[in-house]
Amino acid sequence: MIFLLAIAIGSLFAGAVYLILRRSVAKLILGLMLLSHAVNLLIFTMGDGGVRRGALPIVDYYTGEVMPNTTDPLVQALILTAIVISFGITAFIMALAYRATQAMKTDDLDDMANTDRL
Amino acid sequence: MLLSMVLFAFAMAPLGLLARREPRALVGWGLALLPFAIFVLLCTQIGTVVNQGPIVETLRWVPTMGLELRFTLDGLSLLFALIITGIGTLIVGYAGAYMEKDIGLGRFLVYLFLFMGAMLGVVLAGNVLTMFVFWELTSVTSYLLIGYKHEYPDARRGAQHSLLITGFGGLALLVGLLMLGAAAKQVGVLAEQAYNLDAIIAAGRQIVATDLYGPAMAFVFLGAFTKSAQFPFHFWLPGAMQAPTPASAFLHSATMVKAGVYLLARLAPGMGDTPLWNYTLVTVGGFTFAFGAFVAFRQYDIKALLAYSTLSQLGGLILMIGLGGKYGAEALVTLILAHALYKSALFMTAGIIDHETGTRDLNRLGGLRKLMPRTMVIVGIALLSQMGIPIMFGFVAKEWALKAALESDLAAPWPLLGLAAILIAAVGYIIAAWRFFKNAFLGKPHPDVLQHHVHDPKVAMLISPAVPAFLSLLLPLGLPWVSTFLSPAASAVYGHDFTFELYLYGGVNQALLFSLAAIGVGVLLATQERRLAAHRIIASVSGAKLFDRLVEGILAFATGLARTIQSGRLRTYILYTIFAYFVIVGIPFVIYGLGDVRSIQDNSPYFYEVVVVSLIPVGIIATITARSRLGAIIAVSMIGAMVALIFVLFSAADLALTQLLIEVLSTVFLLFLFSVMPSRFRNFSPAWVRWRDAVIAVAFGILMSGLVLAGATTNLFQSIAPYYLEQSVPGGKGANVVNVILVDFRSFDTLGEIVVLFVALISIFGLLRFRKQRSDVRSSGRERLTILPGEAGVLVGNGMDEGVERAAVPSSQKQEKST
Repeated sequence: MIFLLAIAIGSLFAGAVYLILRRSVAKLILGLMLLSHAVNLLIFTMGDGGVRRGALPIVDYYTGEVMPNTTDPLVQALILTAIVISFGITAFIMALAYRATQAMKTDDLDDMANTDRL
Repeated sequence: MLLSMVLFAFAMAPLGLLARREPRALVGWGLALLPFAIFVLLCTQIGTVVNQGPIVETLRWVPTMGLELRFTLDGLSLLFALIITGIGTLIVGYAGAYMEKDIGLGRFLVYLFLFMGAMLGVVLAGNVLTMFVFWELTSVTSYLLIGYKHEYPDARRGAQHSLLITGFGGLALLVGLLMLGAAAKQVGVLAEQAYNLDAIIAAGRQIVATDLYGPAMAFVFLGAFTKSAQFPFHFWLPGAMQAPTPASAFLHSATMVKAGVYLLARLAPGMGDTPLWNYTLVTVGGFTFAFGAFVAFRQYDIKALLAYSTLSQLGGLILMIGLGGKYGAEALVTLILAHALYKSALFMTAGIIDHETGTRDLNRLGGLRKLMPRTMVIVGIALLSQMGIPIMFGFVAKEWALKAALESDLAAPWPLLGLAAILIAAVGYIIAAWRFFKNAFLGKPHPDVLQHHVHDPKVAMLISPAVPAFLSLLLPLGLPWVSTFLSPAASAVYGHDFTFELYLYGGVNQALLFSLAAIGVGVLLATQERRLAAHRIIASVSGAKLFDRLVEGILAFATGLARTIQSGRLRTYILYTIFAYFVIVGIPFVIYGLGDVRSIQDNSPYFYEVVVVSLIPVGIIATITARSRLGAIIAVSMIGAMVALIFVLFSAADLALTQLLIEVLSTVFLLFLFSVMPSRFRNFSPAWVRWRDAVIAVAFGILMSGLVLAGATTNLFQSIAPYYLEQSVPGGKGANVVNVILVDFRSFDTLGEIVVLFVALISIFGLLRFRKQRSDVRSSGRERLTILPGEAGVLVGNGMDEGVERAAVPSSQKQEKST
């Protein structure tokens, strides 16, 4: 199944890079969203013992005992933080793109680069 | 006491502003009492230093870095400090008279006092880093002084040259000094003592044996040669003559340019006496000595003539350090004193001539002997001393220089080269001096001179050059006393305590014969000075112009590079990043990581996993090829949902929940955003660019896939996951380890996350609020008046998109119906 995840991550990265290299602001935002998915999944595969099916990052509450099929909780905690932060950044970029598009009447990044013309 | 002297010099700087008031000549001499006070204080220390040795004061500054405010007053420091404050006193008084009509005198004196403090710091510092700090300060204050008349382009150019050259040298010096410190630590000097000058010199012989010695000295030489205007860094010194004459007389003849000499003399007992040291200094110093003297007599501008003879003299001083030995040390300190006396007198008289006649051009002067007889006497004495005519102090100094060359311990050709340089320079000085004297004072007055009402200046101005000039004449009478005073200085350069006796006439010996021969040839050639000056012996390529071209070239290169790299387009930056990634990560991966990928073992995937994962590439292709915005939003949402499903399938329930929630929010935002953006995606880029980007993107994706596979088989470090699992209940009182990590073990991460969200929130609020403000302004005229000037830009920006908004609302409604 690591092969499957590798394909998913690779295609997410490829799509993200292609979209970020476009001139449209809208596509740039879509690219950034894909990029954050890609990075989250990349971190996910780096957990202790790789990815597992049907395991839980949970221990016995009463004994504190670690059960045999337990997955790495650290990567999950990191990704959780990363998801929320990337959402905050995406939201900010969206607002920025919205204002920029309004002020400059274009969503072409090349036109935006030259604000002196306005 | 030494520290307070330096601090006092800095503290008196603001007092310079007093000189903004009339009568400036009087205020100038009043202010001259300040450096004079330091001078007197230093004089009281002469006895202590001569009889009891150096005075040392230490104040801890940054002990962990080996930086301490350590001040040492030994013979050499004392000689320099007395020159700095003594000449400084005369210069301040002179400046008051010289710039009597200039309101800028206040500013000028502030710079001058600051410089004096910095220069005192350089010569009194007992720690190389402290010395470096003051060293750089002298460069900066020198820049301010040269650029004093900043409305003239030549002054700005001269100031820029001097700052660039000495600043570059300063950086080199810092590197050299740090290497010296490192070498000192290597040979066992305590870390906190490593930058202590005495400690470095004491460990000198061991440092010389280390590998760091060569490079360290190369950098130190660069620093010293740039500061002391040695060939090929000499050209900034003539350019520095754009400074007002008092500054030229002080900085660019008597004090600052000797900082490089001082540094080398200071290091000589520890670092000197190696082939590298001796041969470099003899070559550079000797060449500059001869070269400067020969360029000097071709000059028409008096100050330029003096500038070239100064840099020649500096070469002579460095030559003395290079020749080494007892005589070298003796000659060095004697020459320093002699040169400081006559050269400051000459510069100040050049200023007087300029002041009275309005020109420094030797072709437009002449016949001043009747108009300015007193000035002529002073110039005459100073020139005789420079030429090294018997009974002047300059003669004694030249005798000792010749002796240093004749008695040098160096291998065969080097002392002879030194001797040749000294003789050439002696001849050159005579020609230059004669040229100056004859064209300025003898012959018939130039018509321009007669137009001005030329006369000797006031005593307030004349006294300053008179004092050092007459000292050049009187010092030979007190040679025993001068020798006692100079002996500790020479000892500091030589490294062992010894005393020596200067004398005017030591019987007929080689040095005297050489000296007389040089005078003879000089006098003979001096009669031909006009023809010699016209003869272009030295190529007329100006170092300053070459340097200008170099600086312009560097600037043009930098501009071009910045334009190419900083295109202002995100795409270009992303491309740089990706290419860098290919090189830094891709190449090592292909070389070392591919084997891991081949050896991977995988259990077969389930059917539903294949479906979920294969929907991701489908979604990506759909996003890229989407023609409408809604299509793209649907495709991206699907990808997000699939990612959430992956989390579900592979044991990350918390992540799946969060991902799903965020995905919904993102989709809502995207819908909102795209409703106000142009309806259809246009392809801005031409087809070949899109194909190129596609190739890059696919290559990047394949590399990342490979990395994932390689990462799955590599286990370089012990994971810390078991720690969290074990400690979750005892340490965090929770069974869901992910949650415990977020709120307990790594709660600062969560705090950071909250801060990021909050900052994003504020920013988004700010971005969107602009609209509201605009409508307020529109609604009421009174509020418009209360808008601050800084907000004007916002108003303009909003005014422009009013039309867009009105047009956009109905059209976006239409689009949604159509999609």
